Amino acid sequence: MTQEPMTLPVAVTRPVKPAVKRNSPWLAVVMVLALMYFLLPLYWVLVSITKDNSQLNTTFGLWFAQPWHLWENIVQLGTQDGGIFYRWMLNSFFYSFSSGALATMSAAMAGYAFSKFNFAGRGWIFSVILGTIMVPSTALTLPIFLLINNIGLANTPWAVILPQMVNPFGLYLMRVFWDNGFPTELIEAAKIDGASDWRIFWSMGLPLVRGGLITVFLFTFVAAWNNFFLPLVVLNNNEQFPLTLGLSVWNNTNTGRTPQYTMIILGALVSILPLLTAFFTLGRYWQGGLTTGATKG
Amino acid sequence: MKLKQGMMLLIAGGAVAGAIALAQAFNEPKYQAAPKGEITLEYWSWVPKMEEQAALFTKQYPNIKVKVVNVGAGQSGTYPKLQTAIKAGTGAPDVAQVEFGYIPFFASTGGLADLTKYLPSDAKNYFVPWTWSQVSQGKAVYGIPQDQGPFAMIYRKDIFDKYKIAVPTTWNEYEAAGKKLFEASGGKVKIGNFFSTFAPWFTALAWANGAQFWKLNTDGSYTQTLNSAAAKQVANYWGRLLEKKYVSTLGAFSADFWNAVSKGEVATSMEAAWGTGSFAGSLEKNPGVGAEYRVAPLPQWKKGGTASGNWGGSTAVVTTQSKNPEAAALFAYWLMSSKASVVQGWKGAGVFPAASAGLDLPELSDKTSNPSKFFDGQNVAAVYKEAGKGVNTRFQWSPWAPTVDASFQKQMDLAVNGKQSFADALDNWQAETLTKAKADGYNVK
Amino acid sequence: MKNNRLTPYLFLAPFLLAFSLFFILPVLYSVYLSFLTRVRNGFAPPTEVFGGFANYARVFTDGDFLASFFNIFLFGAIQVPLMLIFATAFALIIDETQGWLSKVFRTAIYIPYTIPGVIAGLLWGFLYSRNLSPLNYLLSNNGGTPVNFLDSSLLLFSIGNIVTWTWTGYNSVTLYANLQNVSRELYEAAAIDGATGWNVVRYIKLPLLRPALMLTLIFSVIGTAQIFSEPFVLRGIGFVPVNITPNTYIYQIASQDANYSYAAALAVVLALVTFAFSAFFLRYVNRSQSV
Repeated sequence: MTQEPMTLPVAVTRPVKPAVKRNSPWLAVVMVLALMYFLLPLYWVLVSITKDNSQLNTTFGLWFAQPWHLWENIVQLGTQDGGIFYRWMLNSFFYSFSSGALATMSAAMAGYAFSKFNFAGRGWIFSVILGTIMVPSTALTLPIFLLINNIGLANTPWAVILPQMVNPFGLYLMRVFWDNGFPTELIEAAKIDGASDWRIFWSMGLPLVRGGLITVFLFTFVAAWNNFFLPLVVLNNNEQFPLTLGLSVWNNTNTGRTPQYTMIILGALVSILPLLTAFFTLGRYWQGGLTTGATKG
Repeated sequence: MKLKQGMMLLIAGGAVAGAIALAQAFNEPKYQAAPKGEITLEYWSWVPKMEEQAALFTKQYPNIKVKVVNVGAGQSGTYPKLQTAIKAGTGAPDVAQVEFGYIPFFASTGGLADLTKYLPSDAKNYFVPWTWSQVSQGKAVYGIPQDQGPFAMIYRKDIFDKYKIAVPTTWNEYEAAGKKLFEASGGKVKIGNFFSTFAPWFTALAWANGAQFWKLNTDGSYTQTLNSAAAKQVANYWGRLLEKKYVSTLGAFSADFWNAVSKGEVATSMEAAWGTGSFAGSLEKNPGVGAEYRVAPLPQWKKGGTASGNWGGSTAVVTTQSKNPEAAALFAYWLMSSKASVVQGWKGAGVFPAASAGLDLPELSDKTSNPSKFFDGQNVAAVYKEAGKGVNTRFQWSPWAPTVDASFQKQMDLAVNGKQSFADALDNWQAETLTKAKADGYNVK
Repeated sequence: MKNNRLTPYLFLAPFLLAFSLFFILPVLYSVYLSFLTRVRNGFAPPTEVFGGFANYARVFTDGDFLASFFNIFLFGAIQVPLMLIFATAFALIIDETQGWLSKVFRTAIYIPYTIPGVIAGLLWGFLYSRNLSPLNYLLSNNGGTPVNFLDSSLLLFSIGNIVTWTWTGYNSVTLYANLQNVSRELYEAAAIDGATGWNVVRYIKLPLLRPALMLTLIFSVIGTAQIFSEPFVLRGIGFVPVNITPNTYIYQIASQDANYSYAAALAVVLALVTFAFSAFFLRYVNRSQSV
């Protein structure tokens, strides 16, 4: 399941905390129970990566077993199939970063056009693009694949990167940011000073909508990082696989070779670390983007 | 005691067969000349340790490198990838592993090269005849047979010993053994596992009972009969065992399945020859406490019978996208027929050769290496060689294999969950597959 | 003021180019494909000819495809409301509480969102496995029988659980972010009117969340129509019907059966149905907002 980033129409006023806060023990109990549910699989992962397969088979899944095999799993993950795991990781980075950067740039430019210019077709082009937000992207994946074949892009990184750079919601978001974050008077003043349109956009405008840029980039990056269906359909060469596809192939190929389940689980953990780190370090943009985007009173 | 003697006899028999085979020289083909220049071939295969086997080829032909890629077993990986790559017109490997049952499907996509123009004219003489006919359509040859998958029964000798059960030779005895195990273990130990998501597994069992699922008529149309009396007998039988909880329905090759086998919760499994390699590879590090694995002939419907079926058995196909079809054909041919490669295939993955000379190789009886080593030195190749003799070799396949597999899973799931009888499951399997094949444009009755 | 008329189009160009190539064109192409049918002649590869609405006629008589729709409707009717109820409750809890537990809670429930669906499916797959699952381990060690989470009667719930696990926190934090925008005056006014605790939730917070909830609902519905990775990876451990969702079915038709024109027809129908559903909800939201 994939979802679009959400920005919601809310009031322009900056968040103000309600004065009253309560800490009822009942709410604490609910929170602890919910935490257990959300963290259980991750805890299980942390336990499992210290085991080998027979321990995984025979010992209780929610507690550690002796001796530890964590180091073996780490070594195995780095060497399995010629160390291809880290190549997959690099691919995931490359695809997600490229998609994210291209999506952000193109959305920023197009959003700027819709926000600051009057031109023929402005209304209906925007409506068409906005309307497509509701077309499920996976319904497009197979047609995209067939098309990509016809233009000779199948089995190239472009087949993954380019379709993911199209982010109609990102465009909508950027338009809102331009509308609110970059007053038209500034543009007019700059024009009188003789600045070019590109310079106004690039040097004056972009810094003012930085929050929007980061939000669009983050969400495109996450969507691309998490994408499975598109690479599954358009890529055949396992050296080009992203992490999601590579791990799923490993998980499906246990016939006849000693199944490396605990190594695969370790791989799953390693594959979510980058996003977790990004989440913890960029958290404020992440959450910020959830509201500040749509301040279009 | 008696069992042990039988075992010894079997082992001795294997040794004798090995000794006789030793006397014969391995009949290796005279290969065509290798193309010149530096060539790299890509080969998709899910056979374990295939890299080692392919490396032998490069040792022989240093200018041809082979990159082995595992994109997942059959339907859960290689087939969809291969099919989309063929459709895409790019991205397909030079050589790919395809099972016999999927040759018609891939041949009908137009993506497989006809190998006749790349192979010496006597190539077919080096393979077991029925395997060659499985890869041929008219005059065209779409793949090089790799292995056969005759069916036999892998069992846990220690479990049978513990519960004092003789190795069943008929399906009646098998059911009785299931009952005994069920009662003696309080339902914990199942006699076997029903692979409800693998149509080819069921097909092999029906095949052993004389079923013929597809027939290519002379007018180019097909006749499909998935619900013959023979097939229904097999389905009803397993349905009954399931109902009585004598067998489980763990996912084939899943972590659950291997786990149950190693814990001694599943006493037998009907497996093709390559299954010995799967068992050895998957359970090597975790065989289970006191586990002793053995192979016995497939239980029979008629006492004293020798019938068997076939599950899988693969080939190497060359795609029309290959830029080096000569080298690809040579590689495929060499890989399946040269002595060094055949021996490695057996030891690495239990690949039971389709090359006729391969069956007599003494290395197949080598007790000190897998798969036989895993079976405590039993000459498992000898058991499967016998099983191979009982396979009806005129079995034919259809080009709509993916539909057949998907429909089987669906109908069997309904049957396993008691929502329809097993006989109905076969009727619906037949009807549904027929409708879909027709809608896809196939001429089938 | 000098304004080059081309300028806005130059700014639009990169987006519009990509949008046309990877959105409009594929749609048109699949519409075109969906009107082709295959004719076979012996072993030769099939040829594709114009077949009118034959593929569409097949779509509406294809029991497997209709069943896959039924599955996601069921999903949409059970999983989506449940998830949103939890998400709303958690958002209110975060908003009502403070201290370290509240902070940990807010952060932790968001974590699953950063985990790709296919990885989440893989991990839950182990927790669902009949023999390896710690849940089943506990059950069978206490005299129970292990649960088969992939049994056909449970499968949708098991998939629903993975989706709920992944998305509840994300939706919670989104809703919470909206709650933060409630102005202090409103609370003060409410306090003066004597509104407390539950009343504030009932008469102030929930109505304020309503538009946000509607959008969350729409995106969840669109998301539901796209479920693919979770059932796809679960196939490794048990039987998952190829038509568990429309997406998995379309994938089966295209990449296993190789019938791309029929798959295109299915994709077109799926896109139209989702579009219609979302448009319906969106209108509803707009109307309720303007009231």
